[in-house]
Amino acid sequence: MTPRPDLLPGTLDMLILRTLQRDALHGWAISERIQEISQDVLEINQGSLYPALHRLEHRGWIEAEWAVSELGRRAKYYRLTAAGRRQLAVETREWERMSNAIGRVMKHA
Amino acid sequence: MITFRDLTLRLRALLSPRQVEHDLHDELSFHIERETRKLIEQGMPPHQARATAQARFGSPTVVADECRDERGIAFVDNTVRDVRFALRSFRRAPLTAFTIVTTVAVGLGVVAVLFTILNRFLFRADSVPDISEMYGVERPRLANGDQSPFTRPAFDALRRETSVFTDVYANVGDIDLRVDGRMMAATLVTGNFFSVVRINPVMGRALAPADDESGGNQVIVLSDKGWSRHFTRDPNVLGRTVLVGGTPFEIVGVMPAGFRGLEVSAPDFWAPLAQLAQFLPAHRGREDSAGVGIIGRLKPGLSMEGARAQIAAWDSNRESATTGGLPRASGSESRDRAETIVLVPKRGTLPQPMEAVAIFTPLFFAFGLILLIGCANVANLLLARGVARQREIGIRLSLGASRRRIIRQLMTESGLLALAAAGGGYLISRLALGSIVYFATRTMPVDFGDSNLDIAVPAADWRVALFLVIAAMAATAFFALMPALQATRVEPVRTLRGELVKNARPGRARNVLIGIQVFASALLLIASAIFLRSAMASSQFDPGFRTVDTMIIQVVNEPKRAAMVQAIASEPTVTTYAAVRPGMLAWPDAGFAAVGASRTAILYKFVSPEYFEVFDIPIVRGRSFTTAERDGEHPVVIVSESTARKLWPNGNGVGETFRLEPNPGSNADAKDEPSMPARLVTVIGVSREVAGFRILDTKEAGIFLPISVNAPKTAVVARVKGDPALAHRTLVDRLTRVDPNMGMIATMRTVVRLETFFLQIAFWVSLVLGSLALLLTVSGLFSVLSYLVAQRTREIGVRMALGASSQKVTRLILAQTTRPVAFGLLAGVGLAASLATILIALPAGAMIAEVVRVTDPIAYVASLLVIVAACLLAAWIPATRAARLDPMQTLRQE
Repeated sequence: MTPRPDLLPGTLDMLILRTLQRDALHGWAISERIQEISQDVLEINQGSLYPALHRLEHRGWIEAEWAVSELGRRAKYYRLTAAGRRQLAVETREWERMSNAIGRVMKHA
Repeated sequence: MITFRDLTLRLRALLSPRQVEHDLHDELSFHIERETRKLIEQGMPPHQARATAQARFGSPTVVADECRDERGIAFVDNTVRDVRFALRSFRRAPLTAFTIVTTVAVGLGVVAVLFTILNRFLFRADSVPDISEMYGVERPRLANGDQSPFTRPAFDALRRETSVFTDVYANVGDIDLRVDGRMMAATLVTGNFFSVVRINPVMGRALAPADDESGGNQVIVLSDKGWSRHFTRDPNVLGRTVLVGGTPFEIVGVMPAGFRGLEVSAPDFWAPLAQLAQFLPAHRGREDSAGVGIIGRLKPGLSMEGARAQIAAWDSNRESATTGGLPRASGSESRDRAETIVLVPKRGTLPQPMEAVAIFTPLFFAFGLILLIGCANVANLLLARGVARQREIGIRLSLGASRRRIIRQLMTESGLLALAAAGGGYLISRLALGSIVYFATRTMPVDFGDSNLDIAVPAADWRVALFLVIAAMAATAFFALMPALQATRVEPVRTLRGELVKNARPGRARNVLIGIQVFASALLLIASAIFLRSAMASSQFDPGFRTVDTMIIQVVNEPKRAAMVQAIASEPTVTTYAAVRPGMLAWPDAGFAAVGASRTAILYKFVSPEYFEVFDIPIVRGRSFTTAERDGEHPVVIVSESTARKLWPNGNGVGETFRLEPNPGSNADAKDEPSMPARLVTVIGVSREVAGFRILDTKEAGIFLPISVNAPKTAVVARVKGDPALAHRTLVDRLTRVDPNMGMIATMRTVVRLETFFLQIAFWVSLVLGSLALLLTVSGLFSVLSYLVAQRTREIGVRMALGASSQKVTRLILAQTTRPVAFGLLAGVGLAASLATILIALPAGAMIAEVVRVTDPIAYVASLLVIVAACLLAAWIPATRAARLDPMQTLRQE
């Protein structure tokens, strides 16, 4: 396995929220989606995904529901709440500001 | 941030942990299964796919644990685990647990005793519906503590003309009188009293407004206390009559238990205020000038300040109306006027809680010292155990437990022990209160119990329980935190090898603890020694007049005076009797003696010629009064030796004349005595100095004027034959037949003993506290030293093998304690002495210091010797044990 760069600290929550923006997903699907869209650059440590999901649930940013999955057995689907949407907006804005700033420094400094 | 969702999730986790665990497991295993499916779809063989999926996921247990942590009930989880662990460790060392619980329980019990008493006076509100609406209308206290009261007419006007209260009543409380030959306490109230407080009787009826009209009904309503104290809870008590001031009063009702009439201690009964003259004959004919208390139920929604302002406005209007509308207010005075009314919440607790707190603070300090010493003992024990548990703690630290986690676990252990101790403390406090009341009533001077002192074991309620729990937690913080910090300051690797970490040997903390203990014991023992010495001195104190067989008899009912005096005169046990005004236990009248141009403040009283004979006070110069002089017409006086010296420093006093002027500001008027005009008097004799009592707030007069035994407002003093207690009973029997409402009658012996009695109580209380303190200190010292010797066995063995003598070893061990003990003693003596100095410097303290010998050097030295001896004893056994060690054996053991 080639060593992969760690996720930037604090970005996992944002990525999860963003992934859930359109529809409800279960944990495995979330990690798959992130990996897929990032073209395998971002691989989420599966062990740290679930504590993060539980944390977000406790904060009230996502909510969970049990539903029958594609495997035919029940799975826990997470969905963004209104508070989660607001939080995502805040974090997106913040992220853009940061990455722009870093981009400028990398280009012009 | 805690959201609603968060709370419901947590609650769910707490209430159905099984379901939550199940869900978590499902969720995680689904992930692995889904990943396996994906790998199989990518063409991996099933068993390999599963293994890979599991490897990618990592340990489900760890992930589950992290999820649980996010869930936020880890706190509860951990606590449950800590408690289980603690219970296991108690089972391993039951003796240690028992010692800790007992030690802390003693300390908590002692403090709980005090709090239970304080609770009764300060926090236990009367059981009156909506008691927060009850307010007393009062005038502010003057600088000298006096308060000018309202009168009945003022009350009637206030009730008519103001509208701040739903209703308001007036009362006159604290009337002690003899009813049917027994002392009872009465409170007179207006007829609406029971409807204002909204209390219904358990039997019969309450007082009604009709009872309180002039010429109303002579009826009384018993309190639960009066019913059980004087009528043995007789169910047929209604309709019975008792004699008050010669008038029969009918018992018409009994009030429920727990209702105290908004007083700290319930009266025995309530009677209509219109009957005032029957209860206080002094007010007969001028009932309207008697002071009354006013208490009302504030209208709901009205603020206290608004109500106060309305009443103050009413009061100043009324004031100007009665003074004829004269403009008496300048600018500043009108501001003063606004402050002439205060509203005081009435809860049936002490009216001046701050004063009570001021009294209780030093007591809490003294009682708290026991708790402090106990905690110090436990802390020392835990320190020692911490060293013993270093290995265990080292293992847990190296297994990855955080230091915080272990400290929390240790604190949980101690907290549990402290809670058990709180339970024990409660039992101890009940037991102690029971025995205090038992011994206090048993040793109380006989006829003192005749009075209305309300001695009962105060009940404990939820406040006491709460106090105990809080105190237990505070104690835990004190005794457990420091040892826990010490115990976890270890290096895991070295402890695993079995080495004790030097840094963790808590020598300094231990010394501080020993110092604190010795300090506290010293304070308490010095106090008890001081009280003992004072009580001894007091029992030998000579008040300067005969007290063994004399008694005082109050005459309250003027019309019955002649009959009373007659009965006393014809009583065979009475040898001589005399009249005195004011009475023996009252402060004499104040006045001035004008000799030439100089005026000297003096105290004077009126006595019949037999007074000096009854009390065996010799006339040292000149002569006594003759029987002819008792009519009060003769301008002759007898002065005491000190007064003679003060007024005529160069002469002997006899034959001198001076002008005796009453002090117009004196309280003679308040005492309702005939006023004395200023007059020129001649000294016919000088009496020996009389010291008077010390603890009672009285002083013997310096100037005596003659009076007849039949003069009004006098008290009778008598000398009796035989056993004074027996004579007391005979006189009570005989005199209550003459006047069932007669006043107090007491032997002088009782009055004298009373003074010693209080000192003795103080002595016993401080002795019990002091002994407890010393016992705890000594046992603590003993166990610490024993432990140290056990720890240093090897070192001592080496020293002895190298030639140290057993004497040297003994000295080595003793030296361990010398410094902390010396520091503790110095601090204790220093604080005691400086407190004493401060006390003497205070004006109020100077009077106390006269009776309580706060700087008695013998008391200081004796208590110090006791402590040093006890500490030596505690150190001796471990020290000799160390000295008797066989060096060869100890070395071989290693």
